[in-house]
Amino acid sequence: MSNPLLSVSGLGISTVQDPRTLVNSVSFEIMPGEAVGVVGESGSGKTLTALSILGLLPRGVAIAGGSIIFNGTDLTKADPETMRNLRGSDISMVYQDPMTALNPVMKLGRQLLEVIESHEKLDDGSVARVEAALREVGIPQVERAMESYPHEFSGGMRQRVMIAMALLLSPKLLIADEPTTALDVTIQQQILALVSEQRRKRDMSMLWITHDLGVVANLVDRLIVMYAGNIVEAGTVQEIFTNPQHPYTHGLLSSLPSRTDKSRKRLTSIPGVPQKPWLVGNTCGFAPRCFKVTAECTASAPKLVGSLEKSVACFHPMGDK
Amino acid sequence: MSLNIVNVEKRYLNRASGTTINALNGVSIKVEVGQTLGIVGESGCGKSTLARAVVGLEVPSAGSITWDGKVIDNKAKDRLKSHHSQVQLVFQDPYSSLNPRQQIENSIAEAIEVHGLVAKDKITDRVTELLVMVGLDPDLRNRYPHQLSGGQRQRVCIARALSAEPKLLVLDEPVSALDVSVRAEVMNLLIDLRKNLGLTYIFISHDLAMIRYISDVIAVMYLGKIVEFGTWEEIIENPVHPYTKALIAAMPDHSIIGDPTMLARTLEGEVPDPVNLPSGCSFHSRCALAVPSCSIIAPTLREISNGHLVACSEV
Repeated sequence: MSNPLLSVSGLGISTVQDPRTLVNSVSFEIMPGEAVGVVGESGSGKTLTALSILGLLPRGVAIAGGSIIFNGTDLTKADPETMRNLRGSDISMVYQDPMTALNPVMKLGRQLLEVIESHEKLDDGSVARVEAALREVGIPQVERAMESYPHEFSGGMRQRVMIAMALLLSPKLLIADEPTTALDVTIQQQILALVSEQRRKRDMSMLWITHDLGVVANLVDRLIVMYAGNIVEAGTVQEIFTNPQHPYTHGLLSSLPSRTDKSRKRLTSIPGVPQKPWLVGNTCGFAPRCFKVTAECTASAPKLVGSLEKSVACFHPMGDK
Repeated sequence: MSLNIVNVEKRYLNRASGTTINALNGVSIKVEVGQTLGIVGESGCGKSTLARAVVGLEVPSAGSITWDGKVIDNKAKDRLKSHHSQVQLVFQDPYSSLNPRQQIENSIAEAIEVHGLVAKDKITDRVTELLVMVGLDPDLRNRYPHQLSGGQRQRVCIARALSAEPKLLVLDEPVSALDVSVRAEVMNLLIDLRKNLGLTYIFISHDLAMIRYISDVIAVMYLGKIVEFGTWEEIIENPVHPYTKALIAAMPDHSIIGDPTMLARTLEGEVPDPVNLPSGCSFHSRCALAVPSCSIIAPTLREISNGHLVACSEV
């Protein structure tokens, strides 16, 4: 078996002043060519985990411990120069909102050329490279698109430009933070198909962040479920969907309306609201909402145990069906 | 008592460019009391414009909307007020639809006072009753919106809408902005309230799974028109219009996992610009069944089986 491309181990993220834990000891691996999904609700720490890989944590938030090994280098100890070289070439990112991620007053062709320019010298072939990248993601009339501004495109087309930009220097790892959330369902489906095709063609690794389980069901190989700053469950897509072990994952899956149930029976709901990560302390963060809670759950924090195919952090997992 | 929408059109003039945005292009639909009508469609299909027209926030450019036999007329203030005592709207974003500087008790009490439904000294009791009705602890009454979670805020918005004692509730994407784990609770609440208060709902969403779950009848909208209409079972189990079929194919299906070919089953292209509507059938530019006549003749809704209507000449 090959070495992982990315290995995150014991990663903690907290606020700098008046330290509050936002992400608590997260560990996972991504193999070369593997696509991993991170599912969680707002505040679960999924976006911060992704941003920390790129060294792009917002001001006032910092890595509090652990390591992020990418291709043999610990990114938590890397200097700004190394990170600049990695970003956009070895690791690139697609954001949720292309309108704020693209420069509104710069022509698209120029913005894509800048990506090349920041890593290598521009030459006669650079423009052709950018045009080819745009063509590959399905942008029509590429020559005209090069001369256009972001506002002249629809949301779906802007997201395609973002993907072209992210793929331009053939990254080994693509990080995507809810890139289809703002799009209509049929356009979302188009973007998912495009990304899925590109990743297979390039044998690229992918980290896909989402709050929507339906989006990743047919897109990724493995899933990580985050809750209140912790990984509560991880495993293959097959295992997570058909045999969820954590009561949170189980609750989340059964709260979704079925598309086949004719009787339209009452939705199973999870009472309460998500816990703040810094209030979890040495307990199970899901305990206040869990139907299987016991004294054990608030006395200590369960550890994530199991294999790459299937692991869970729970004292009372659901058990096999 | 029923809501009758007849040939409603809505056009917005863009003064800067001198162009016209065609938001609604002839929508007719009847909602019987006690029924839940689900309206599904993508952004720009006119579903929110229709919702706003039903509560009198927009005046149709043509056509009429009548509730209980009375035409909704937002020029007559008194009549609009009496309309609002019967028809209320819940918006998608519960944060921007509540006054951030107003305690939630006052937000709810204001609506009660406007409609003069309860004696002044009984308003506090009525607010308590409404908070309990939507599953909130009455002790939260003095909180400000930012002190509540998204789910709690949406419950406040529902309580405020109910304070007018409406018969018809228009719900415009009421759970889309909420965390996944709290959506189910709000959906269950809406279903309980419908039963206990005998409410009629218009439930608007882009999420066909939620529409399927709550609706008696479903209308599918595309570019300001209804392209298919029928009972929820007919629309979900037996869709006929190619657009409805594409929407259903794009619905998340948790029974099929790890199959990338599932992603390829979708429409090509994008929704055309509502400024320059396509000639003929507005869906023809993306339709796999389109024949030359589709770009000339606009299909009208026709009944293909009992209560199942479709606007397509090729099915």
